Amino acid sequence: MTPVSFIIEVTVGGLLTGVMYSLVALGFVLIYKASGVFNYAQGSMVLFAALSFVGQLELGMPIWLAVLVTVAIMVALAYVVERLVLRPLVNQEQITLFMATIGISFFLDGFGQEIWGSDVHTLNIGIPQNPIFLGDVLINQFDLIAAVVAGSLVAALALFFQYTRVGRALRAVADDHQAAMSVGIPLKSIWVVVWSAAGIVALVAGIMWGSKLGVQFSVALVALKALPVLILGGFTSIPGAIIGGLIIGAGEKLSEVFLGPMLGGGIETWFAYMLAMLVLLIRPQGLFGERIIERV
Amino acid sequence: MRDTVSPTTPPLRPIGEVLLKVEDIRLSFGGIRALDGVSFEIRQGEILAIIGPNGAGKSSLLNVVNGFYRPREGTITYKGKPHRGMRTHEAAASGIARTFQNIALFKSMSTLDNIMTGRLTKMRTGLLAQALYLGPAQAQEIEHRRVVEKVIDFLEIEAIRKVPVGKLPYGLQKRVELARALAAEPDLLLLDEPMAGMNIEEKQDMCRFILDVNDEFGTTIALIEHDMSVVMDISDRVVVLDYGRKIADGTPDEVRRDPAVIEAYLGVAH
Repeated sequence: MTPVSFIIEVTVGGLLTGVMYSLVALGFVLIYKASGVFNYAQGSMVLFAALSFVGQLELGMPIWLAVLVTVAIMVALAYVVERLVLRPLVNQEQITLFMATIGISFFLDGFGQEIWGSDVHTLNIGIPQNPIFLGDVLINQFDLIAAVVAGSLVAALALFFQYTRVGRALRAVADDHQAAMSVGIPLKSIWVVVWSAAGIVALVAGIMWGSKLGVQFSVALVALKALPVLILGGFTSIPGAIIGGLIIGAGEKLSEVFLGPMLGGGIETWFAYMLAMLVLLIRPQGLFGERIIERV
Repeated sequence: MRDTVSPTTPPLRPIGEVLLKVEDIRLSFGGIRALDGVSFEIRQGEILAIIGPNGAGKSSLLNVVNGFYRPREGTITYKGKPHRGMRTHEAAASGIARTFQNIALFKSMSTLDNIMTGRLTKMRTGLLAQALYLGPAQAQEIEHRRVVEKVIDFLEIEAIRKVPVGKLPYGLQKRVELARALAAEPDLLLLDEPMAGMNIEEKQDMCRFILDVNDEFGTTIALIEHDMSVVMDISDRVVVLDYGRKIADGTPDEVRRDPAVIEAYLGVAH
């Protein structure tokens, strides 16, 4: 193998893992964009969706039905969250809402494992796992398919936000609740829509990560890797979440391979956080976040 | 401004049926009575000014009308239908638009997108068609753009179409907020201190726009304003509030001579 194709292989492998990070980051962006709330429970929603999906499969449902049932569960969850958590806390400080999402996270982790058990469930929905050669470069087929799925999801969401009435309403709500209400946007239904969308994104992420790692508690911790992605890409930008994921995915693999031997290895585990810290120092709104406009 | 509309000129516009009737509204926050049995009417095509010292309950009154606050007691009859306070999106859908004392715009969105949000309640295609941007949705979007461009033209803000409103100077932000309200083609327009913090030139522009809106589209307008010369010039009728109660209601001339009003504003002569 030539060194060039080796570099390409590492980069591509990293990019594809990065897409998987983006998938989780996307859920955060959706909710942050529309309600200005950092949803600590996003990782738990990924786990919850994955557990529910795998639970339906184990009951003997076909994949399409399990997807439908889980989507229905995530929409119901969105409704319950709006009713019991967001509505009573309307117009409260951001930190209050953030704390409430920590509560949601504890609840989902516990409730999900109570129903579906805390064992590791294997999840196989027939995506081939074996690597293939594209020219000289060895690529994992599963990662490739995950990247295509994530890519389509992002494209759909980006178009939705930018060009549709509901998308505009979502952006309006994100910007100013009071003004949004005055032009007749019903806040409550918007929140249900957003949390449902985030729930569906969580399901897709849950299926992908669940197939890779097995459905277990550590799936919820993938959300930790989404944080540097968000800081890099900006909390409000969907394309930012994708590009942030790609940079981090490729960056951590490349640094492991090339800087690893010099620094003693293990770079992959902290690279993302170091990069995020540098971005915070230089460009706090992220690479693609909305400019922070301050008038005095 | 004073030359174009003299306060003694009787209104040339046809003043029609009662559009909004507010009866015996009571609203309190904790122990404080913000509104204590306020009643008044607005007729179709009218420009009504609501004045009063600070804390008199003027903004609370607008908030009740557009559904931000739900009154403890009282009835609001809008277009002949009685309510105990509508929800904000119901109010918007039935033709009530408003602006705010401290501008409430979507600061990171462009002027154009801000004004487009004013059309939200008029858009009727389903979510799926919207998401896929299919046929009727697209045709609708074009129609909405047409209305919005008309408003932009009317308020003379063509040049700032693409600018994020957070970057605009204060006076223009006020104008964009008015544009967003107008984009909804409202029947009743509520303006909360549309001229606060403006210089004389900006105030004159704003007065002209308010009169033109009323004149060209027949929009009924209720506005809160502190600048008395503005109030006397542009309004057909004035309602005066003090400590949550209505103390006067009449033409600008009547109100100006009303002893209760003079007392509220200047204190009693001893």
